[in-house]
Amino acid sequence: MKKNIYQPVEAILEDVIEESPTIKTFVLRPKVPFSFRTGEFIELTVPGLGEAPFTPSSDPQVKEKIDVTIMSVGTVTSKLHTMGKGEVLGLRGPYGKGYPLQEFKGKDVLIVGGGVGLAPLRSLLFALFAEIEDYNKVVLRYGARTSTDIIYKSSLPEWAKMKKVNVVTTVDVGDPKWKGHVGLVTTILKDLPVSLKRAVSVVCGPPIMMKFVTLKLLEIGFKPQDIYLSMEKNMSCGLGKCGHCRLGKFYVCKDGPVFTYEELKYLHDIWD
Amino acid sequence: MESFFLKADNLHRFYQRIAETFELYVPVRIQTPLKVKCDYGLQLATDDYLLVPYSSTEKEKVVFNDYRSIEPAARAFFTYFKEEVCSYFVDKETSHQEQEKPLALAGIKNCDLFSLKIQDFVFLGGNEIDPTFESRRKNALIISGDCPNFKEVCFCRAFDINPYATEGFDFNFSPLNDGYLVDVATEKASKILASIKEMFTPASSGQLSGRQAKRDVVIKKMEKHLSYHKIPKKESLQEIVLAGYNSGVWQEQMLTCVECGGCIFMCDTCHCFLLMDETPEENAKRLRLWDGCLLKNFSKVAGGANPLKMRYMRLRNRFMKKFDFFISNIGFQACCGCGRCVEVCPGRIDIRYILRRLYEEKHLPAR
Repeated sequence: MKKNIYQPVEAILEDVIEESPTIKTFVLRPKVPFSFRTGEFIELTVPGLGEAPFTPSSDPQVKEKIDVTIMSVGTVTSKLHTMGKGEVLGLRGPYGKGYPLQEFKGKDVLIVGGGVGLAPLRSLLFALFAEIEDYNKVVLRYGARTSTDIIYKSSLPEWAKMKKVNVVTTVDVGDPKWKGHVGLVTTILKDLPVSLKRAVSVVCGPPIMMKFVTLKLLEIGFKPQDIYLSMEKNMSCGLGKCGHCRLGKFYVCKDGPVFTYEELKYLHDIWD
Repeated sequence: MESFFLKADNLHRFYQRIAETFELYVPVRIQTPLKVKCDYGLQLATDDYLLVPYSSTEKEKVVFNDYRSIEPAARAFFTYFKEEVCSYFVDKETSHQEQEKPLALAGIKNCDLFSLKIQDFVFLGGNEIDPTFESRRKNALIISGDCPNFKEVCFCRAFDINPYATEGFDFNFSPLNDGYLVDVATEKASKILASIKEMFTPASSGQLSGRQAKRDVVIKKMEKHLSYHKIPKKESLQEIVLAGYNSGVWQEQMLTCVECGGCIFMCDTCHCFLLMDETPEENAKRLRLWDGCLLKNFSKVAGGANPLKMRYMRLRNRFMKKFDFFISNIGFQACCGCGRCVEVCPGRIDIRYILRRLYEEKHLPAR
């Protein structure tokens, strides 16, 4: 019998980690081996309710488990946030083109994340850390709304201590507990410790954040082909068939979700 | 390709042979209130046709359709408006599509065949093949027919699509005198023909040239019809929709849209769908439903943001998909000129008029 392209594989929810009041990381154990490359996305099914697209946030080298970090915003994600250990979910994928790691080799990799947009970037960081000798430097700039909205709170300081890795975090609105930077993520893109001659940038976050980060990076001197953006739309099938995620002449699910700004700069309304 | 002549009296014997092995659909004539009147004096046909199952239709109601059916569009035989595509986690031993009797579609026209090229690209192309679509499509028998006539909304020739088919079918019927000239294009069709040889006589060169003369007459009449509508040539479609991105025509034309979705569901080249899951949880199943970009929530995301929040954006999106996306990706437009969207629209939003306006706004001389 032919493979049914719409059928999910079963995955057991093994753990749920609370990252912030609205964001949790779900640790899934698929019943059949399931591997992905960093930046590719999956369709996650809540049985009887529906599915939604997410990019895994775990280390792509780990095959038996997949982490997905999810903010509660819609029907599927709200239901997910009520679920606990042992419950059954479904997985389909992986879909799309991931981050082109080959293009990043030997370079200064600037990673700019906003809010829950750090989730797919964590998977990228794990992939970079695994072969850190191949890269010149990894620079992470992360912005969250407030200090409680920061995700991977315990990991961020650990990453900052790593060799060849530089991390700065900022919050839009400060509070007495927060000792770090206050301001939008664009305010920590000044005096970056990267050499523009050999730098690439990877951006993931809400559309408005990606827009202003892209404009800032262009102003700094990044070339459009060196700015990688995660364009996440309402992918339904993930296969380039259902038509929901069209972006100009592309389908985000099939041709992305990672695009360079060079590919998108002539298209209308890419930030909507 | 071989051509034969079939006497009109033998048509039902032919259909009966097809119905032995296929679920045969045939055209019948109907009257509908959906009429787009010709307002420049050409006497155009106003009959409509439906494709209905042969087995449950009175023989005398079966006709040769002069032009495409009002519905269903060809694509509706290969993906359904709502159907189950899988159940969770359980592989069924035999999937339901393998139990379906193969389809035979009589009365399919060249516009429908053009549209199937789009459906094939979507469901058979790319990284993954849709298995349900593939089995229906592969097993189906296509019996197309020439259009000896057309209706007001027809505009296939504007995009150089002929009102008769020369490829993409198993059998093609061209009405001629007291019967039909039948083209036999595939091995599947040849095998069927071999089993009912006695009904057919080889086509004479006189019959073939007679058919060509009839085809030329229709084309000529249609050129006259299209000269009124001034539809831009297909070579300019992508350029004018891209240039017209900020045109006022989108807002202006959408004033009468009631968001019924008729245009997207009647469209033969539209293909968008939504996967939707159905409870109860124990044996929940996944459904595939036709969806379309003229509907309000088509591109809405979980957080509530909607990139196509205004109606004019959705109309523009439809044109961008048909005339930019598809031309970029497969080299031709996702519009076959069948005019079903024009016919169904209660707001009288006319794709031909919008294209013409976009063309004129670019200040190019009209066709």
